[in-house]
Amino acid sequence: MSDLATAIVFWPAVGLMLAAAVFVFITSSMARAGLLLLASLAIEGLVFLALGSRFLGFLQLLMMSGEMVIMVFFMVMFMPDPGGLMGMDMTHDKRRSATVAVAVTAALGLVAVLTDWPARVVGRGAPDVRAIGFEVMGRSMISFLFAGMTILLAMVGGVLLAKHGGRFGLPAAGDEQSGEHSPPEERS
Amino acid sequence: MISLPVVLAVAALLFGVGVYGVLGQTNTIMIIMGVELMLGAAMLNVVGFLRYSHPHATSGDFFVLVLMTLMALEGAVGFALVVSVFRSRRTSEADDLTELSG
Repeated sequence: MSDLATAIVFWPAVGLMLAAAVFVFITSSMARAGLLLLASLAIEGLVFLALGSRFLGFLQLLMMSGEMVIMVFFMVMFMPDPGGLMGMDMTHDKRRSATVAVAVTAALGLVAVLTDWPARVVGRGAPDVRAIGFEVMGRSMISFLFAGMTILLAMVGGVLLAKHGGRFGLPAAGDEQSGEHSPPEERS
Repeated sequence: MISLPVVLAVAALLFGVGVYGVLGQTNTIMIIMGVELMLGAAMLNVVGFLRYSHPHATSGDFFVLVLMTLMALEGAVGFALVVSVFRSRRTSEADDLTELSG
């Protein structure tokens, strides 16, 4: 992609992505917020394309389309006013939140602009992230598999423990013992 | 060619919007949306660094795939917790969740 074509795709995409992201938290409708988030993250796929990452750009479009549509369903299910017709205010501490957000953005932006990034590009023959891939898929594979299983167990356990009624479910009607502390066979 | 600091500055702006969403919203699902934007900014950073340090290599895309998976997991676990809290409290407002028990 030529420099001109890159600029033609990149700058409008960046503008739309940031505008959609800001409007996510401005609109009073949860459904609109979900669709704006979908737009923002899908347009980020266009930014990836402009930067030359065709695979990641298309993957981002596909992934975010599916994920955000599911998110919109959750919003419509859980919000008392998903259409935003009652003008609900879903914010708190707006001033302090904005102050912290501006401070974080300024700090990160200053680091990005003021850091003396190396100008040269790493050559084709130089060791690159491919070496990390070989490490992950080679002798360290067991470690990564174990870490992945641990994370999965933690997620399943966290959701189970957060369930209403705990691990063993709610006690049966007329049962004096709490369902939280006794397995089903002890409660009968 | 778009320079690396420009990409990083754009990612910083997107991250800042996400921070505002996480801190300023009261609904749990909106907070999750803020976290999604912050992870999107992290992805943009990784893509920027990959394009400018190893423009010919595609193996680094693996890291962005990990981040995309993390976004999906964060959404899945977050929604599961919202469902769980909504069953017991009948609300998904973060301001109403002031106790760990009950």
